Amino acid sequence: MEVKEKSKIDPKFKYEVARVAGGENIRYCFQCGKCEATCPIRRFEDSYKPAQIIRATLLGLKDMVLDSDVIWLCATCYSCTERCPQGVRLTDVMRAIRNLAIQKGHVHPFFKQQAGVITRAGRIFEDEEFINQMRGELGLPPLTPVNRDDLAKILRHTNVKKLLKNEKEK
Amino acid sequence: MTTLKYSYFPGCVTPQKENAYELSMRKVAEKLDIQLMELAGANCCGFFVEPVDHLSATILGAGNIALMEESGCDAITVCPACFGHLTRVRNSLLEDAPLRNEVNKALKEINKKFEGTSKIKHFASVLLQDVGIEKIKSTITKPLSQLKVAPHYGCHILKPSDELNLDNPEDPKLLDSLIEVTGAKLVNYVEKKMCCGAPVMGVDEKLSLTIAREKLKSVKKAGADVIVTVCSYCHVHFDLNQLSIQEKFSEEYNIPVLHFTQLLGLAQGYTPEELGLYENRVPVDSILNKLQQ
Amino acid sequence: MVEVSEEPRVGVYVCHCGLNIAGTVDCKTVSEYAKTLPNVVIARDHKYICSDSGQEQIKKDIKELNLNRVIVASCSPRMHEPTFRNVLEETGLNPYLFEMVNIREQCSWVHLDQHEKATQKAKELVRMAVARAQLLEPLEIKEVDALKSVLVIGGGVSGIQAALDLAEQGFKVFLVEKEPTVGGHMAQLDKTFPTMDCSICILAPKMVDAAKHPNITLLTNSEVQDVSGIVGTFHVKVLKKPRFVDEKKCVGCGVCATKCPVKRPNAFDMGLGTRKAIYVPFPQSVPLVYNIEKEHCLYFTKGVCRACEKFCEAKAVNFDQKEETIELDVGAIIVAVGFDSYDPSTLKEYGYGVYKNVITNLELERLLNASGPTEGKLKRLSDGKEPNRIAFIQCVGSRDERTGHPYCSSICCMAAIKQAVLMKEKHPEYEIYIFYNDIRAVGKGFEEFYRRARESWVNFVKGIPSEIVEDPETRNLTIRAADMGLGKIIELEVDIAVLSISLVPPKSLEDLTRILPIPRGPDGFLLEAHPKLRPVDTPTMGAFLAGACQGPKDIPASVAQAKAAASSAAALLSKGKIRVESSVAFVNEDNCSGCRICEPLCKYDAIEVKESSKGKPTALISEVACTGCGVCASACPTKAITLRHFTDQQLLAQVKAALFKEEGACVDRGISHGS
Repeated sequence: MEVKEKSKIDPKFKYEVARVAGGENIRYCFQCGKCEATCPIRRFEDSYKPAQIIRATLLGLKDMVLDSDVIWLCATCYSCTERCPQGVRLTDVMRAIRNLAIQKGHVHPFFKQQAGVITRAGRIFEDEEFINQMRGELGLPPLTPVNRDDLAKILRHTNVKKLLKNEKEK
Repeated sequence: MTTLKYSYFPGCVTPQKENAYELSMRKVAEKLDIQLMELAGANCCGFFVEPVDHLSATILGAGNIALMEESGCDAITVCPACFGHLTRVRNSLLEDAPLRNEVNKALKEINKKFEGTSKIKHFASVLLQDVGIEKIKSTITKPLSQLKVAPHYGCHILKPSDELNLDNPEDPKLLDSLIEVTGAKLVNYVEKKMCCGAPVMGVDEKLSLTIAREKLKSVKKAGADVIVTVCSYCHVHFDLNQLSIQEKFSEEYNIPVLHFTQLLGLAQGYTPEELGLYENRVPVDSILNKLQQ
Repeated sequence: MVEVSEEPRVGVYVCHCGLNIAGTVDCKTVSEYAKTLPNVVIARDHKYICSDSGQEQIKKDIKELNLNRVIVASCSPRMHEPTFRNVLEETGLNPYLFEMVNIREQCSWVHLDQHEKATQKAKELVRMAVARAQLLEPLEIKEVDALKSVLVIGGGVSGIQAALDLAEQGFKVFLVEKEPTVGGHMAQLDKTFPTMDCSICILAPKMVDAAKHPNITLLTNSEVQDVSGIVGTFHVKVLKKPRFVDEKKCVGCGVCATKCPVKRPNAFDMGLGTRKAIYVPFPQSVPLVYNIEKEHCLYFTKGVCRACEKFCEAKAVNFDQKEETIELDVGAIIVAVGFDSYDPSTLKEYGYGVYKNVITNLELERLLNASGPTEGKLKRLSDGKEPNRIAFIQCVGSRDERTGHPYCSSICCMAAIKQAVLMKEKHPEYEIYIFYNDIRAVGKGFEEFYRRARESWVNFVKGIPSEIVEDPETRNLTIRAADMGLGKIIELEVDIAVLSISLVPPKSLEDLTRILPIPRGPDGFLLEAHPKLRPVDTPTMGAFLAGACQGPKDIPASVAQAKAAASSAAALLSKGKIRVESSVAFVNEDNCSGCRICEPLCKYDAIEVKESSKGKPTALISEVACTGCGVCASACPTKAITLRHFTDQQLLAQVKAALFKEEGACVDRGISHGS
């Protein structure tokens, strides 16, 4: 993460993260560093520091965290969650931070694109015909089509469509 | 032999990129009297929507689980991300009544309801827990004793272990036993437990390939002939992207990557064609030749 | 003394307890309400009724208004029932004419946001108390004999200290230790922090004193099997296991061990060294008497050898020695059974038990000790080579929600620093790394000792390692950790990795707490009566705690606690008599049918059915043994047994008062009841 000069401290940020489902246990972190030692991303990418992201969140560096590029590097491998001695469930906290980032208008284009296709077509691909052709060649039954109307109906209960429209590309 | 019945949840990555995995799985299932029913209308489990919106991901998952419940039995998937995501959705909806009500309100629009009566299982765990090693052994006709096999578990079939309750991520045995039952030699390697790096491919390609390369290095050093995976995402990364890794780092690996169902299938006497082995990008000739000897 | 035939004259005192009660319950309203209840002569509310002024007010009212029942509505009886009973006694009233109502722990503190309902509940609780108070009777003050003897269970530094302190005061002490020698874990240590005293050098004199003291009976190789009776006269059964060597004859020369052909891992050396099947745990063992391990002795298993017997000049070997049951009567018991160590082999990421050069801090302690398996020369377990780089990993098992030991084990920071300083003294060329989460150096001289470690160039890295990887050829270990201060991941190759493992409650507590019912806290250690003010008492009267069995602690804290336990036990027993609860059960012989239902129900063996003077079998309850639990009284089909101070009439009066809104009117709660 970029350490900006004079970053503003917003003590309410940590409560925001804790209010997102999965973010509640961020408060238990005591900076032992086991997550960083375990993380395969951290091992090969020096700018990705999960414990530092927790630290910044607890301190309240909201803009620094939500605007940063590195929060999109988590591979969701859950190794940190396994090894954390205080049950912080860092993988879920990272996801909660990502959810807040997109609410603020920041999302990595890869995730935006994927979620866009899924919420529209119901799968990570649009062209069901092509896929079924490949399957047919191997002797596999075709996939049953996704009912896009039904999909739209259930997703109306969340604001995911709005989120995917309003964000700023990174 | 008693027939085991499950509905089959296809996921997204497997139909898109790894149909050989589903093919070989169906073949193995046939020999073990496992009956698979279609889940009409199944869509993305929701895993890929989590980073964007957790509730949407939960609703997508719940919709699929409702479909499974309508089929009246448990569901099988070959994708650990689907297995992990749907298991966690099911657990959280069973525990959290207000959330369950909210989700069911959405599902009501399409006349579906989440009750929690069906479980989602990964094919590997079905083999070990529901079918049993003894029965699998009885279907092995061509032991693969010439092969040295390195297992790659990946992440989502094991973790978070307190929610999935399948195996110990620090000392996993699930895939090890499935390899050993084929008669092949299990090869442990230093980086056995590490993630393959596939999930960051869309964000930082170089980083993603660096992680996979580290795994390939470790497998090579341990002297394995082949890597075996339980996940399509991992398989694509080690198989298709092995060529990119070789190019990017100017190194040679040529280590074929098999879906574990392809390994089992070979031991059950299926031909490479029947198992879709020629769909693999890293040529499998080296292991097929070894098996001829 | 008040006669029961007199009209009850009740005084009710409603305590604010600062804001603890008054913050939720409207105490003034409750005391006003109390004035309307039957036979209540005076009702007051008071800020702190347990204070001097509060107590004086009660005394004044008793004298001036002729009160003969006192009710205090405040905290739990476990806090202040004795306080207020004393107040009554000081004015000449029988202490059992006092009734306490809990409107704090059971009212204000659990209904913090519901002021109106809490106040209503407090009123109802007071109404119930007033109803019961009418029927309270004076009871005879009960005292039991207090033997001037104490059982100390556990012969580590805590048990030894407690035993010595009591013996010096003239108490007879029985010190029971399950191992063949006293000394415990302290005997295993090399040096002690922060002074670097040689551990056994400061402990051995105390061990010898304990063995020699005329008031101490040392029972080693022994375990407590049974405890019965009550405070003042506990009856204890101790099993003395056979050592197959006569304690009175053995001179500890050790010739037998040199002749014994069987080698066994030495538990004292954490299994890193060997001893023979006939052995003493360590050279300074007290008593210095040899022991035969039956399971591995060639004579016991195969009927051959007997070399020890042949070469023993004192003729001390006795293969026919039997176990002995020793029965003791003591006034009090001090539990000082110490701790066990966490087994880190469950944390597979550290490779303990798989990688030979990963050891625990206790194993390192034995390797560093001059009387240890390598005579104090630090060697790698894989190849016997001398190390150059050593890493400590702190908090292994401790402070961890996953392992079931979320607490801090208190001593490991200082122990690791001590071991690091020790090694640096002898080998300044070693590079030593301590990977920590926090450094806890709270005791006297500890922070200075931490500075001394840094002075000696010990490396401190903030960051707990996630895993250890072994090089299969060299058996070197790679430690992977985030150096949080540096902000980078470091992979450090070392020769030896030392795991600072958690202290855990000893396994022996499972059996012990069945024999002697002492509750255990959520961390599994024995529970003290009050965490701040009563750290050595237990809820079981007459049983005290000392040392690590109450919670992880170092030697000075253990010794201080042992001295405190000894002092508390002495205070309890010093007057020769102990006052106990008078609320015990008694049998109305005329109503007893001799059915024997009660006899087996009594956990305390206080009931015996015998032929009475009238010739019929009748239950007889020993007032001394009875603890007033009430089980017999509730089981008796003819209602022949009454539990004093908790009679059916008293309890039913409370129930009726709970259900009746006003005198005579019944609140409809859908409950039907007899008249």
